[in-house]
Amino acid sequence: MQASLEQKYNFEVVRWFTIMAVVYLVVGAAVGVYIASELAWPFLNFDSPYLSFGRLRPVHTNAVIFAFGGCTLMATAFYSVQRTCGVRLWSDRMARFTFWGWNLVIVLAVLTLPLGLTQSKEYAELEWPIDILIAVVWLSFTINFIMTIATRKTSHIYVSNWFFLGMMVMIVYLHVVNSLAIPVGLFKSYSIFSGVQDAMIQWWWGHNAVGFYLTAGFLGIMYYFVPKQAERPIYSYRLSVIHFWALMFGYVWLGAHHLQYTALPDWTGSLGAAVSIAMIIPSWGGAVNGMMTLSGAWDRLRTDYVLRFLIIALAFYAMSTFEGPVMSLKTVNALSHYTDWTIGHVHSGALGWVAGISIGAIYHLMTRLYYTEMYSIRLINFHFWTATIGTVIYIVAMWASGIMQGLMWRAYDEYGTLAYTFVESVDAMHPYYAMRAVGGAIFLFGTLVMLFNVLMTVRKSLVEGSLSKARALPAAV
Amino acid sequence: MSSLAEYFETDWQAMTVNDWIGTIVTVVVFALMVVAYFQVFRPKNRDRLEAKKHIPFEEDSENSGERDGGK
Repeated sequence: MQASLEQKYNFEVVRWFTIMAVVYLVVGAAVGVYIASELAWPFLNFDSPYLSFGRLRPVHTNAVIFAFGGCTLMATAFYSVQRTCGVRLWSDRMARFTFWGWNLVIVLAVLTLPLGLTQSKEYAELEWPIDILIAVVWLSFTINFIMTIATRKTSHIYVSNWFFLGMMVMIVYLHVVNSLAIPVGLFKSYSIFSGVQDAMIQWWWGHNAVGFYLTAGFLGIMYYFVPKQAERPIYSYRLSVIHFWALMFGYVWLGAHHLQYTALPDWTGSLGAAVSIAMIIPSWGGAVNGMMTLSGAWDRLRTDYVLRFLIIALAFYAMSTFEGPVMSLKTVNALSHYTDWTIGHVHSGALGWVAGISIGAIYHLMTRLYYTEMYSIRLINFHFWTATIGTVIYIVAMWASGIMQGLMWRAYDEYGTLAYTFVESVDAMHPYYAMRAVGGAIFLFGTLVMLFNVLMTVRKSLVEGSLSKARALPAAV
Repeated sequence: MSSLAEYFETDWQAMTVNDWIGTIVTVVVFALMVVAYFQVFRPKNRDRLEAKKHIPFEEDSENSGERDGGK
């Protein structure tokens, strides 16, 4: 039976990563709500540099992307690679090193960023000693994953593993190249790139962090967990193969679309936008592939709340991967760039897609890792609605705020002078900033409910003794 | 741009080694993508590829009793 897999596989490290992912989701969302509130009500800075938006914002992004997202990716990759390859992780020791090393990175981020120790590179703020630690830990994660695949019992490598592996390989060289710097002290370094090359490298990393870490990695989750939760195979395996190769080929070209109307050569932005538009096809192919997996069993969405999380995440994935390419077009970018529309877009991807697919996968994992049902199915349903409503309020607020900002900044009067001062646009955004904070708070409340539900499920498993019974069973062959 | 010829005009003499490497890699990868599309959608390969979609369930048939969370 399933429980006997406890001895066959290393689920211990998966459990650690899973629980920490939920903890970091709460922490990251809480910091996000706090800094969103600072923008609406600036007194919340309390005139403390450690609490200022500029220092806490990277704490928020690092907590949600690398702490929550990283722990989720490591839990799901380590779980699904074992289940699809039919073998235990290649090295338990290396898996433990990955867990403790990754958490050390997170602790160091939480300590250094509020102190203002930063390289000022977006999504790569951490200083050089931590960057080296990240590279070492990520390599240990990658090597362990590759070696597990190398020792597999199945003849074919299932497609979810391709996505995980694509992410791992790409992140190694993206992280290393983007982090190349000359240290001038333990906590200070200067990038080896300068000027427009620095900007290009920064956004080559920045967009590929989205493309390979936040998309390819979480698509690996989708291709394993949607079929498993739906109890039916992926709609089209051939489409998943095309999805993978088109994603790997296409994403590396997109970074320059973040730098329209800058010192970067004009053609690079056009190229980035053109490939962005082309990327709608594989992205939507993948989203449809995931959703159509439910073909013939749509009624399950009425009762299976975990499946709801997974499928609504795919809807947000489809929406974000349409919105992004549209925003990369120069005519749209002229309005959207530097406005809150970008923030709305990012959060429709981050809250709707990344968090949604992660939360669904984590609920799925909990029952299998602790050999019991979730403590409360009603709380999962409640979480689903808070997450969805919170996300929608957030992104609608940012869309309205962003488009209004863009229109105010470009408005001229009949004499050709600007119709509004910058501060007038800031003042006009206040209601939307308050609305964003409310949306974020609703989402945060849902994560707290999830943490409670997860911890109570662990307790339930301990009380029932289901995990200890599973540990005592003979190993599955 | 006054004409397509002018738009697509390239100063080949000014191409650096980097430019050539980038150009060749791009064309080769594009060709590989075409090959991938051809192979994946070739009717002959359909059954072989689609059979792989059952891999996540192979172990379930051997090990019944998996928890069905969230339902």
